[in-house]
Amino acid sequence: MRYDTLIIGGGLGGLECGYLLSRAGQRVLVLEQGRQPGGCLQSLRRQGMTFDTGFHYVGGLAEGQSLHAAFRCLGLLDLPWQRLDADGFDRVTIGDRTFPFAEGYDAFADRLAEDFPAERTALRRYADLLQRTAEGQWNALSPCPSETEMTTRMMETPAWQYLQENFRDPLLIQVLGGTSLKMELRKESLPLFAFLHGNSCFVESSWRLRGDGSLIADALVRGIRTQGGDVVCRAEVRELLERNGRLVRAVCSNGEAYEGRLFVSDIHPDQTCRMVKDSQRLRPLFRRRIHGLAQSFGMFTVSLRLAPQSLRYFNHNHYVYRRPDVWDFHLNNRPVGGVLASCRVPEDGSGFARQVDLLTPMTWESCRNWVTRRDADYEEMKRQMADECVALAGQVVPGLHEAKTVCTSTPLTWQRYTLSPEGSAYGLRKDCRAPMLTFLSPRTPIPNLFLTGQNLGLHGLHGVTMTAFRTCAEILGRETVWDMLHGNGAATH
Amino acid sequence: MTREEIVKQVNALLAEEFEVDAATFTPDANVKETLNLDSLSLVDLVALVQQTYKVKIPASDLRGIQTFDNLYDYIASHLPQA
Repeated sequence: MRYDTLIIGGGLGGLECGYLLSRAGQRVLVLEQGRQPGGCLQSLRRQGMTFDTGFHYVGGLAEGQSLHAAFRCLGLLDLPWQRLDADGFDRVTIGDRTFPFAEGYDAFADRLAEDFPAERTALRRYADLLQRTAEGQWNALSPCPSETEMTTRMMETPAWQYLQENFRDPLLIQVLGGTSLKMELRKESLPLFAFLHGNSCFVESSWRLRGDGSLIADALVRGIRTQGGDVVCRAEVRELLERNGRLVRAVCSNGEAYEGRLFVSDIHPDQTCRMVKDSQRLRPLFRRRIHGLAQSFGMFTVSLRLAPQSLRYFNHNHYVYRRPDVWDFHLNNRPVGGVLASCRVPEDGSGFARQVDLLTPMTWESCRNWVTRRDADYEEMKRQMADECVALAGQVVPGLHEAKTVCTSTPLTWQRYTLSPEGSAYGLRKDCRAPMLTFLSPRTPIPNLFLTGQNLGLHGLHGVTMTAFRTCAEILGRETVWDMLHGNGAATH
Repeated sequence: MTREEIVKQVNALLAEEFEVDAATFTPDANVKETLNLDSLSLVDLVALVQQTYKVKIPASDLRGIQTFDNLYDYIASHLPQA
């Protein structure tokens, strides 16, 4: 059987493309190498509980906000979302001071201005820029795009430089970066574009799932199947065969082969290129360019199980830093200098948390000794880092010291389960010094091969969703996808 | 590196990577048309110049590079000082 589109990789981007293309009437098959679809949304089961791997919260789901239309189109608005605290959805603690991030652009600026009154005007200006970023985020899909020059400028401007030029208080600059453990906070490379997009929708409104991230993956899989498509797990694609300059077939490691008219790859672009072994279209120059791109850093995570009724559920995220070195601590993160504490919504309605995740950046370099052999030293390193994370987060989350560590993960774990090179948490590094080279197009030199996923543009639920729509716009046409996004046409139900 | 050396080296590099006969690279010829570049392979050209000469071409400058002469001049004027 020949499919309209074969999708390689069942991470969020692959599933979203599968959903959108099948909704537009295409016969779609998603091939996932793992036991469960979802990529970074996979959950793992330990001691009778499920723990998240990559997903913790999402922004902009309320009516009229950044992700509302996209999630409505994808059938994801019906999931059990819980809105985080309006008076402090994120709280940043640096040393002994805590700064809440309030929901809504005005409230966000005004609340921080209480702690930094001399910066009120600059904060208003920053909030205004966040708002304009959120409002213009779907611009690339619009049949009549505007302000492309502003986008180019924001891609070429370092976020760190913008903050230095717009704020005088060095502590405020640290605080504004304080919720950005969810991106690679490098002074020299992080584009303002990525920084603003990574923050703006959360200011609109922030949400957690009552349950784990696999709810999102499962909903998309159900949707794909309802729309006539399918998702196959344990289907590891080994080779993509090209004939006369077009891909024709995906061959799996178990010998199964699938034919397609179009191909979408949700796996790393370098791995995708290597799957096309003989090609008239992929020049060595293109392969070298993609191969030479740097990966963003990975994460160390600690999944904690709490004794019943030992910790009240907290409906916000807590970012805790030992010192005001938010933009630098990842360079030498021992002892752990910054941590995100994320509390799982209690599903028994008790008001007490049973699970907390702690996350801190971890580079591939710091795991290098254990790439081929995970020995007792590796286990000891993980135990020590987990203790350091708990000690730091425990400064603001009382009761955490009593929690039991269920499992930990490093970039090595991440690489094994998501196949992300170097265990990178956010995909390819976006670099303001070379935006043209590091923000990738969904198109490839092979006319029927498209890319999607966190490596292309922005990462996270928000970024990957934006990219999935862009990828589908290349296939279905920009106007068709624009209409789907706005609830007109192209839907089969 | 003299301009003459840059011209010679750039032509050899482009001919090899884009598989186009260097004899077609006249100073006034259009780079995109001569090398058959689309928006994707134009990025390959930018990457090649950056890798080889450590010269970064931002999007705003790329629009000004139309002919081979423009490209040689851009590289010559942006080469890092030894």
